[in-house]
Amino acid sequence: MTSLPESTKALALQQAQRLLFDVAGLTAVVVATADGFDVASAVQSQIEPSRIAAMASSISAISEVVSQEARLGRGKCVTIDTEAGFAVLHAVHRADVPLVINVIANEDAILGQVTYRAAQLARTLAAA
Amino acid sequence: MNEYKILFTGTMGAGKTTAIGSVSETPPIVTDVANTDASVAKERTTVGLDFGQFTLDNGDRVRLFGTPGQGRFDFLWKILAKNALGLIILTDNSRPDPLADLAVYLDGFAEDLATLPCVIGVGRRDSHPVPSLDDYAAVLAQRELLVPVIDVDVRRRDDVVLLIDTLLAQLEASLYEEETP
Repeated sequence: MTSLPESTKALALQQAQRLLFDVAGLTAVVVATADGFDVASAVQSQIEPSRIAAMASSISAISEVVSQEARLGRGKCVTIDTEAGFAVLHAVHRADVPLVINVIANEDAILGQVTYRAAQLARTLAAA
Repeated sequence: MNEYKILFTGTMGAGKTTAIGSVSETPPIVTDVANTDASVAKERTTVGLDFGQFTLDNGDRVRLFGTPGQGRFDFLWKILAKNALGLIILTDNSRPDPLADLAVYLDGFAEDLATLPCVIGVGRRDSHPVPSLDDYAAVLAQRELLVPVIDVDVRRRDDVVLLIDTLLAQLEASLYEEETP
């Protein structure tokens, strides 16, 4: 059973905190393993990272099945648009421990910016 | 033709995905990923849902859903239990405390168990005979639950069919009771 290197966990934490600080309207950034354990998180509100991590892994896995069924290739990103904001889930395709980045934002955030930054973070963590 | 939704739940590694795969007539939908939980020696684990389909001899169709086993996915238990007509709980007798494992699902699905028929399938009893089926029955009796407990190997199609048949027999009995004045 492979575990995530400590250096990658430290990088994930640093990057999650930076993302939360940089982008207006973010309430949580949680980096989780594909099987639903939070490995790094930065949260502003009363969000429980462990719950978000489990939900992110479920949604990501279900979306992966949908993309396979539709022959759309490997899943990359899922957006949940809501009345009061949105959540972006971005897959991190690592060979050792696949991860999911979950960014939760309120109505002040800009979807394009958040999606771009989540993809950027996914590339950083995939290469780490 | 009737359609039934049956939900498989139970301990991680008890064989929910295998059980659905054993009887499904269509390639099962599986949402397993690499397991990073070092406390359980298992390569992959379900984090979303399993889905398969099965046709009964009378043409009725059974849609089989499986939950993730771990408690951190309990939000999905509630979602997947919606509209289910019955519950199959699988336990793994080789684990340290299978009766405590069972209690997790009896608690997690307590609201559903108040109205839905249920069957317990106990796996790996050949190598781990304790707790016995009577021990399981005692735990259920303490909770005033009358639930069949069956020794199963979910890799065997017949064993999984037996679980489904036992569940459907309870369902039919309850329907008969409702219709009988």
